Amino acid sequence: MTAAGETVKTVRPVIHPGINTDHLSRNLLRSIFGMRLRTWQDGPPIRVFVLPDDAPTHGIFTKQQLNVFPYQLRAAWDRLTFTGTGQAPIIVQSEDEMYALITSTPGAIGYLSEARIDKHVRVIHVD
Amino acid sequence: MLFLPTTSLADQPVQNESLNSLRINGFLSQGYVKTDQNNFFGKSDGKGSLDFRELGLAASLRPTEKLQLSGQLLWRRAGEGSRRGISIDFGFLDYSFVTRPAGELGIRLGRTKNPLGFYNDTRDVPFTRPSIILPQSIYFDRTRNLALASDGAQLYGESRTDWGNLTAQFGTVFPQVHDRDTEVSILGANRPGDLKTRLSYVGRVVYELPNGRFRFAVSGAQVNAGYDPGADDRLASGSLKFTPLILSAQYNAERWSITSEYALRMFQLQNFGIRAFEQKFTGESIYLQGTYRLTPKWEAMLRYDLLFTDRTDRNGKEYAATTGRPAHFRFARDVTIGLRWNVTPSIMLATEYHHINGTAWLSNLDNPDIAHAKQHWNLFSFQASYRF
Repeated sequence: MTAAGETVKTVRPVIHPGINTDHLSRNLLRSIFGMRLRTWQDGPPIRVFVLPDDAPTHGIFTKQQLNVFPYQLRAAWDRLTFTGTGQAPIIVQSEDEMYALITSTPGAIGYLSEARIDKHVRVIHVD
Repeated sequence: MLFLPTTSLADQPVQNESLNSLRINGFLSQGYVKTDQNNFFGKSDGKGSLDFRELGLAASLRPTEKLQLSGQLLWRRAGEGSRRGISIDFGFLDYSFVTRPAGELGIRLGRTKNPLGFYNDTRDVPFTRPSIILPQSIYFDRTRNLALASDGAQLYGESRTDWGNLTAQFGTVFPQVHDRDTEVSILGANRPGDLKTRLSYVGRVVYELPNGRFRFAVSGAQVNAGYDPGADDRLASGSLKFTPLILSAQYNAERWSITSEYALRMFQLQNFGIRAFEQKFTGESIYLQGTYRLTPKWEAMLRYDLLFTDRTDRNGKEYAATTGRPAHFRFARDVTIGLRWNVTPSIMLATEYHHINGTAWLSNLDNPDIAHAKQHWNLFSFQASYRF
């Protein structure tokens, strides 16, 4: 995925601590970030937060955790938005903003660099 | 409102947005088209045409997780066609009666976009297109309204498994036929009478690998319309049946994508009471397109696009012999090279060059003197687009 010798930081999916989930399959995670799966197992709505398409952290997350490229997600979201069959995720401008929203929004899912993760968010392990 | 322990005022708008399910999105574009022969999207021959503009405003509201209300207004100008002013591009209620991690089932009621091929349902949104002008062999601009959207009910289902995702849509609908472009394109002129819509069917099944590397689609429609003669009309109340079948395939890698679509288009006119309007033929279309992402911001595109109006008369010779019109009315080969610059996620600049042999997809409205259209021609286009 990356040039030889390049070290890439780890970016992990994180959720609001109120959601009772620790593990998700890669497929389900893709369905969530693809905006196809809209509710958590126990019913509450999923609220998806992402950084802008051209943010490096976004690119690392999509390739590392979802095994898709940012342009594929963008195309899928645009198809939903401009045919009226779904909605795109909410764009945040920084990891600080992402952290603030994940910790304060029930049902929230997003992603953070390993260094930004603390006990106020719940990390999802991808199976 | 929630109490945020570590937030600044800058977070407030997003916070509101995230709790509010109303979304507003839009796009606007301005294009320029220049040709050395023939006209496309306005009087493009000579100085070129700026008569190519697209504006759209989409809104969606999700009051509950099972229900979504969506609508889009569209204002589009592309030469002499597409002069309907503001139109309701789509507007419907979407209810999912089954939503599970493994998939969903639901129904849409109202005006929905026709799911045909990879691009038809978002064809007017510049950011979703691989090029400024879609491959005309399949995404005809002159009969676009017939294929664009229709009114009725659409059932949909999605299945998500470890071996891929399957999405199916099937609609029983009434197509939009009340515009000049469609009438001129089908009946050769603006006739005293009117086309009227009849019950039609449209459907698409898309299969994708879980990571979206491969995507395949089969889509088809049976579009039915009738003709209501006017006073002193030479034509009787005939009917039109248009049955396209489209096979689509796409491979997506990090830096490049390859897309190909093949279409058979069965077209039938009958009972118009005039021999020239008793027609039945099958058209054939195919294109092969490669996109290369030089960087995430720069994309190059190369495409070969081929159209035969009648697959039993690919070079148009029979047509020329029976009608006395030029054979090149019946085919078009278009080689296109394009470049796209995603300046920011919301601003895009694109340019492309077409070398075309044949006039099968030229519009009569932009070419009133179509009998003198030139077989070999070139088209250059530039487009700036903004989205929010």
